[in-house]
Amino acid sequence: MSKFKKLVAVTAVLVLALSMALVGCSGGKKLIKDGVLVVGSDCDYPPFIILDGDKPVGFEMDLMQAIADDLGYELEYLPPQNFDTLLTTLAGGAKMDIAVSSLTITEDRAKSVDFCKPYFDSNQACVVRGDSPYTKAKDLEGKVVGAQSGTTGEAWANEHLEGITMKPFNQTSEGLMALQAGEIEALFFDAPIAEYHLATNYPTMKIAEVIPTGEQYGFAVRKGNKDLLEEINASLDRLIADGTYEKIFKKYFPNLEPSVN
Amino acid sequence: MTYVRVAVFSLLFVLLLGSLLIAFPQSAEALETESVTATRNEDGGTDIIGGKPTRLSWEGRVGNNEKVMQIVINFPEGCELADDAYLFLQEVIMDDPMHPRPDNAVKHEYELTQESLIINFTDGLRPGNKVIIQVYGFQFPAITADYYITGTYVDDKGLSHILKEYSRPVSVIGGTALENFLVWLSERDWVKAWNSNAFCNSFLNPVRAVASVPTLFGGWLISVALVALGFPLAIPVGLGISFLRMSKLWILRFLSSIYVNVIRGTPLFLQIYIAFLGLPLFISGMDNFTTGFIVLALNSSAYLAEIFRAGIQSIHKGQFEAASSLGMNGIKTMFFVIIPQTVRRVIPTMTSEFILLFKDTSLLAAVGVFEMMMFAKIQSNISANITPYVVAAGFYLLVTLPLTRVISVFEKKLAATDGKEAPPEDKKKKKPETKRVGLFKTTVPAAVNQDTGNG
Repeated sequence: MSKFKKLVAVTAVLVLALSMALVGCSGGKKLIKDGVLVVGSDCDYPPFIILDGDKPVGFEMDLMQAIADDLGYELEYLPPQNFDTLLTTLAGGAKMDIAVSSLTITEDRAKSVDFCKPYFDSNQACVVRGDSPYTKAKDLEGKVVGAQSGTTGEAWANEHLEGITMKPFNQTSEGLMALQAGEIEALFFDAPIAEYHLATNYPTMKIAEVIPTGEQYGFAVRKGNKDLLEEINASLDRLIADGTYEKIFKKYFPNLEPSVN
Repeated sequence: MTYVRVAVFSLLFVLLLGSLLIAFPQSAEALETESVTATRNEDGGTDIIGGKPTRLSWEGRVGNNEKVMQIVINFPEGCELADDAYLFLQEVIMDDPMHPRPDNAVKHEYELTQESLIINFTDGLRPGNKVIIQVYGFQFPAITADYYITGTYVDDKGLSHILKEYSRPVSVIGGTALENFLVWLSERDWVKAWNSNAFCNSFLNPVRAVASVPTLFGGWLISVALVALGFPLAIPVGLGISFLRMSKLWILRFLSSIYVNVIRGTPLFLQIYIAFLGLPLFISGMDNFTTGFIVLALNSSAYLAEIFRAGIQSIHKGQFEAASSLGMNGIKTMFFVIIPQTVRRVIPTMTSEFILLFKDTSLLAAVGVFEMMMFAKIQSNISANITPYVVAAGFYLLVTLPLTRVISVFEKKLAATDGKEAPPEDKKKKKPETKRVGLFKTTVPAAVNQDTGNG
């Protein structure tokens, strides 16, 4: 009996210590490391953020760098991780300060993280092979389609198209390969990224339809990290006012007008 | 006379007006309903459950020559609103159809009740634009049925029109027993206390754990099916290759050793990618599941081939000699003398290969096979919680732990019988036989080597 009691006591102490240690970690700190903004990304969204060798480059990367310079922080990029794990990692509170991955601001995501102000307007694209007969998203009903796991494209197709078989992929680029191989009939993902891919790596594919979803990208921070949220928003406002934002925007999207202000 | 003329004219006028009114809704001149949908809100499922908050979305396109000043959407009878229900409204500017832009600052006032949603636009929705109306915290009645959403709108001339019904209803199913249990569970005090700790909540949230069990069980069955089809397929292939590896013809030995070494020398994950992205280019119509278990079988066959070869070669030479002295030919010797003795020796190693293969089914999630890992991933995504992975770990252990036990029992038995049966000459043998097994030159013990490291 006393052996049993001892066991219970030891277990209780262990559980308590562990949970207290972990709660302590995720306390309301502005930055995990002083003076360093730790950025997490999927790094698979050209021209927004993509790996060039082992270095992330792109519109979001440049914008992030401008924000960090403005705020006097160093930037540190975590190794790329699957998109669907980003917000879980960020919400976990021990590794990442900010998620930068062409993240659409949605009410559902806003339950687990906080979003900074939007910095880019986006939509969904229904991408098909160039020789396929589909001309709009609705034509894909009852077919096998794909999307990156955890994205708004996946959610849109699941909600709006009847009888589809949805194949989730870890990365959009994997989905494009599967589309090329004929494993799926269409891939749903963000329209600006689709335009980039079709103009560069996948000229044999076409956009069947741009679906006006009125999405906007925003950087995500930990829920309740108000200090960082306000700093980033203020910095974005400054960069928009002094023209830095527009300069970065035009570098990557010369044919578009920046619509965020 | 004039009377008749007036009557004819007015009749014509009425007819003209009537036909205009009929013609109007069919053209793109009026606000057109593009879709009426609701978000799936079943825990771990794909259905829309009544009596539980979901997000109702109404999307439409404003006609080309009108402005929309008011939209009224009528909800079916029995719908309810959660306490924190609210409206999200967005006008999407369609000037450039390739680059629609959202306008979140549409000036409007709204009134949201259980019966209807009335939105008044201060400046009106502009011609040709898309409007997205989303009601968060909307609850359909807890009765299985198809629901149609109706409504009206007022244009800038003050004319009221009926909103065209969307061709497809929202199919709702009444609350399931599981859903009711989850609601009950989430209201328990101990659950609330447990979940208030960030660590406990994200690793073992009781509500999420229970919610994920049914879907994960379905995924578990698929994982088991994958290995249950793949492994038996791997056994004959592996046996065949092990014979080729021991063949007298060098070319057969050469080819089979290439097969074994390439498959054992590359990661299964990579083989899966090659198979899934490459095979469909040549063979069409193979579904993911079939491709999945075939890849697993091919991978496992290489490991099994080595296990079988080691097993066969561990049988004492005397057995072959005895069989031939009884007048048995090579094939007979193999099937009636050698293999029956081998089976007993290779069973523990085969079982551990089975365990490895079962765990490796999880790799197929990366290429879109709906097995347990995939379901755990989906479950985790929708809740931003790690609990489904922890539950999935339990499901894997459900298979692997008993099998590990089986192995140790077999090994004990094997050790005991081998000890008893070992002929005295064996112990006097001057030096142990050295044979090539797997990638290394090793001394072959009575039991087969455990070289199956593809985990």
